Amino acid sequence: MKHNRFILFMLLPTLLLISFIILYPTISGVLLSFKNYSVFNFGNIKWIGMENFKEIFGDIFYMDVVWNTIKWIFFSVIFQLLFGFILALLMKEPFKGRGLYAGLVFYPWAISGFAIGLIWSWLLNGQFGVINDILIKLGFIKEGFNFLSDPTLAMFSVILVNVWYGIPFFAIMILAALQSIPNSLYEAAEIDGAGYFTKLFKITIPYIKPTLINTILLRVIWVMNFPDIIYGMTRGGPAGSTEILSVKMINTVFYESNYSKAAAHGVIIVLILLIYTIMYLKLTSKKEFSL
Amino acid sequence: MKKFIVFISLLLVALFAFSEETITLNLVEAFSSPWRTPTLNKIIEMFETLNPGVKINVISPPYETAYQKINLMVSTEQPLDIVEIGDWNLSTLAAMGKLEDLTPYINSWPEKNDLIDGILEAASIYHNTPYLLPHGLFAKALFYRPDVLKKYGFNDYPKTMKELYDMGKKLTESGKNQYGFAFRGKGYPTSFIDAVVTSFFDDIDPNNMYLTKSGKIVFEDPRAVEALTFYVNIYKDTSPKDSINWGWDEQVNAFVSGITPLLFQDPDTTGMLNEMLKPGQYKTAPLPVGISGKAYPSFGFVGWGIPTYSKHKDLAWKFIKFVSSAEINGYWSKAYGALPILKSVYKYDSYFSSYIFEGWTKMFEDKKHYQFTQYPLDNENWGKWNEFQEKTMQQVLLGKLSVVRCLKEWTDFWKKAGIK
Repeated sequence: MKHNRFILFMLLPTLLLISFIILYPTISGVLLSFKNYSVFNFGNIKWIGMENFKEIFGDIFYMDVVWNTIKWIFFSVIFQLLFGFILALLMKEPFKGRGLYAGLVFYPWAISGFAIGLIWSWLLNGQFGVINDILIKLGFIKEGFNFLSDPTLAMFSVILVNVWYGIPFFAIMILAALQSIPNSLYEAAEIDGAGYFTKLFKITIPYIKPTLINTILLRVIWVMNFPDIIYGMTRGGPAGSTEILSVKMINTVFYESNYSKAAAHGVIIVLILLIYTIMYLKLTSKKEFSL
Repeated sequence: MKKFIVFISLLLVALFAFSEETITLNLVEAFSSPWRTPTLNKIIEMFETLNPGVKINVISPPYETAYQKINLMVSTEQPLDIVEIGDWNLSTLAAMGKLEDLTPYINSWPEKNDLIDGILEAASIYHNTPYLLPHGLFAKALFYRPDVLKKYGFNDYPKTMKELYDMGKKLTESGKNQYGFAFRGKGYPTSFIDAVVTSFFDDIDPNNMYLTKSGKIVFEDPRAVEALTFYVNIYKDTSPKDSINWGWDEQVNAFVSGITPLLFQDPDTTGMLNEMLKPGQYKTAPLPVGISGKAYPSFGFVGWGIPTYSKHKDLAWKFIKFVSSAEINGYWSKAYGALPILKSVYKYDSYFSSYIFEGWTKMFEDKKHYQFTQYPLDNENWGKWNEFQEKTMQQVLLGKLSVVRCLKEWTDFWKKAGIK
């Protein structure tokens, strides 16, 4: 008992610090979502109950935003995982200039998402965009694609850029996991006559499964809370076709200057992520990792 | 050693006794930019040279979030003495009761009579009180490229909305990446939409862009259907499809490259165009009038105010007065691109009577066809309206929402917002 008290005492400074930097803003944000804190009400801030939530769910465009968010997360994470995996497999074996190659491949991860959004919005521009110019000069098309003005193409474009941006993270994580697989496993499998795909599905994937599970969990949370690229490229348009929940939250602050309503959006996002995390962890922890 | 200590002590006492205390004024600007902030700093240097013992500390929040930052700073009484206020956040700040009524200062200001007619009234939208002194004006005019128009056989600019459409259509050759009009689809397209829609009316309330003189909401009037259909046709027939996603940057870029030689913009675009185009390569003209024979440009302004809790109000006014003097206002407006607030500036500086400002000069003089009109900026749904109008308008342009349904949504929005 004394031992436990001592541990608690030693942990107390850390707990207090974490409470201050995490708990306080969280509680403050939740409380804010039940108030009328906007620039027009600075002189009359009061508790308004569920009004902000009612207004959000009463928005005729809200379900479109939810649907956009699902598409954004699903396609972004699936393709980031797929291409990140392929990249990590390609980079697993040492080759000449691997360091330089790795640097080039991983560099998108080092740039700010908002800057990437702006750069790509110009690259994909229908009139002045380099990509359209290349496609026209190569004779593939006669007129430039309206990448960001057609709702379907706009969603495709922002996901494409997000995939390009997010591949390095998956590649780094998977590469690190791949390098921890003992070579003896592959050697033993080869002696038993296992081919490339047998080794991939029977050794590689099961071995790195915990990394994959954790990386996917993290990426879904990050991608959902990552408005930077969309904001830089389309700001959620055209006609809300690329507006996801986090962009909606920013637009609520930017256009309406309604901080309480934006906080309510934030609370909804946190609740969705909380439910997702619990379900995901329950599903993935059922099958214990074993070799 | 003793002598040395006595000497140092005397020196310190003398320094404290004879040195003048430096007063630092905190100024927050709302429109920081690499073009404008250096000009403001130069003006401040001049003021500091003329007023020894006064220092001005400039706070420049990023442009995109400046209004929110300023609103928060003033509401929480952060140490500020001079605040830049735009017409879009004036009511918000004034409603907090933390802005000084500048009436006594302005009344004792000799250059008051030189102010452009109506500017002080426009700046007094909240409770009929001037809580700021404008330092620049904005109104949309038609920018055009005579060189491109000439290639297509046009020797003059379009004077009516119909001419604008016809000219734009003839200029449009999508295969050659040539279009007529620089359409604005995002980033506050409000004043652009309304300039077109209200031109179909001849009875707009001068105090509210969204009401007719009989008190009816503009969007529930049958004329609005024709007007908004016309607006959609401008997009479909004279502009790039991609322009549904264009803000200021893309519009100006397309104008500079000649892809869209017709553009509606504010005077602050002139600063950039003067650098990027040769003299005479662009000109300005009044906004085309609609079938009503009228046009209703909105009058935007930005100015300086003083927080009620400032400890140096008189000194803050001294600075505002200095910035608003004819010489400095001329220098400032030229560098920044806004329209000057004093009539004399237009006379003494030929730049403001040059072809660059022809569009605004003609509109100011022609009161029969041009009525400068205000927005319901003091309505707390104003910010929300900008997002709502942009999104619903884009849906109409994409064919997802009909013109009639859109107008009903807009009418319902303003009815709910209690516009009347």
